[in-house]
Amino acid sequence: MIARVVYAFREMWASFRRNLTLTAAAVLTSAIALLLVGATFLIQRAFENLLVQWRGDVEMIVFVRSDATPEQIAYIDTSIRSASTIVDVEKLQYLDKAQTYEEAQRIFVGDPVTLSLLTPENIPSQFKVVPLTEDPALVRSLSEQFRSLPGVEDVALAEDEFQVISTLSQFVRAVTLVMSVVLLVVAVGLIWNTIRTAMFARRREIEVMKLVGATNWFIRIPFMLEGLLQGLLGALAACGGLWVLNAAWENGVAGFKPGTGISSLIVPAGYLSGVMLMMLVIGAIVGAVGSAIAASRFLDV
Amino acid sequence: MIRLENVTKRYGGETVAVRDVSFDVAKGDFVFLVGPSGSGKSTILRLINRQERPERGEVWVAGRNINDISDSRVPFLRRSMGNVFQDYKLLTNKTVFENVAFALEVIGKPRHVIASQVPLVLDLVGLAGKEDRFPHQLSGGEQQRVSIARAFVNRPLILLADEPTGNLDPATGEGIMALLDEINRTGTTVVMATHDHRVVNAMRRRVIQLDRGVVVRDQERGVYE
Repeated sequence: MIARVVYAFREMWASFRRNLTLTAAAVLTSAIALLLVGATFLIQRAFENLLVQWRGDVEMIVFVRSDATPEQIAYIDTSIRSASTIVDVEKLQYLDKAQTYEEAQRIFVGDPVTLSLLTPENIPSQFKVVPLTEDPALVRSLSEQFRSLPGVEDVALAEDEFQVISTLSQFVRAVTLVMSVVLLVVAVGLIWNTIRTAMFARRREIEVMKLVGATNWFIRIPFMLEGLLQGLLGALAACGGLWVLNAAWENGVAGFKPGTGISSLIVPAGYLSGVMLMMLVIGAIVGAVGSAIAASRFLDV
Repeated sequence: MIRLENVTKRYGGETVAVRDVSFDVAKGDFVFLVGPSGSGKSTILRLINRQERPERGEVWVAGRNINDISDSRVPFLRRSMGNVFQDYKLLTNKTVFENVAFALEVIGKPRHVIASQVPLVLDLVGLAGKEDRFPHQLSGGEQQRVSIARAFVNRPLILLADEPTGNLDPATGEGIMALLDEINRTGTTVVMATHDHRVVNAMRRRVIQLDRGVVVRDQERGVYE
């Protein structure tokens, strides 16, 4: 058993070194593909931070002063509900201070100064308003009306804030996803090709192996390990690249003034390592699948 | 040990390689398959080690119908037979020792078995002292001895040889035949395809003659004709 494991790894390594150029191409392609996959997830997550308060077609947020009385809050609620031709009452949502505080943790992830000034006591609560109408002018005039209500601190409109970013994020996500899928397919193809070349270079050996009674798995496993190694190396390179990119991004974001919104375009470290782990897994799968297809295809001697 | 029953095999649906071939080979026999090129000798060897499957008829090896065994069991069937070829099929990047050891390595034999068996069989084929040579440093006869050592190192029940003297001069060929004879005397069944008159006539063993895929003669202690 040990002899077999040693054999498999020795053969994998020998073959890996023999085809360095092709191997490098396969590793590089899978690295770029996986980097794009990783970047897609990070970008998506960063935009989500920014857009978290506008999720679910929310177009208007009425912020309520932290010192507002329950009567004032009830009055605001009634006022909003009374505009039932413009406001989708069913979807009207009230976030109390605790919920708003929780949300702020994500919005201000890259802005620790602002975050440290907020407490569950001094934070405003908020009504999230989903309009029925498509007409932005109606929503705007309604917001002016709400702004003058007692206890209202401010009214924010999605149109003013993040409409562009929201569209942009969807576009970026679609483009990067398509590109990474295409590149992953290319990576599988390149790994398939290196394994095929490796097997062709050793066809005499494989013929002899089959004639003396080596099992197909015995022949196949070193090649599959080789593909797996290529995928993993690509993933490792991609992880390094992603880490560098993310660090550079965080540096850049730190230069912006707090409260401009840009500062929320940061992902937590835990999420980054989760994405990297996912990249390693995808890399391993891509490599193993590519080489398994090639190995099985060319084993019918 | 080997039995073919009414075996027919065609290539590409048209060319008949062997037609309705039947014969029995007892354990420990030495059999020549003779006939001109394209008469079906190699096909019969390939049917016995299951590189080919018959279109009709049955091939039995060691009491089993090998058409019935699954693809995943074929490697284990092949471990009971050694193969020797006209072109040796040695691995050029491996030494004599490594070429022979390879046959044991790929069927998962432990290192100590390899270390003890390989020198024994190299001694048997007369290559003691040349373990570290590479194939290109050997003569044709010596290369064929390496290939026989590789085929025999696992002590197979059957040795299949396809024109083993085809690339060798007469004197060297005689040496190879003497070696195959010696292996046969250990109880190994030998089936050898050849169109070399001299070796057949010198050995006086059973001869199965083929012509365009049909058995035309099956004779104990025969000659080539």
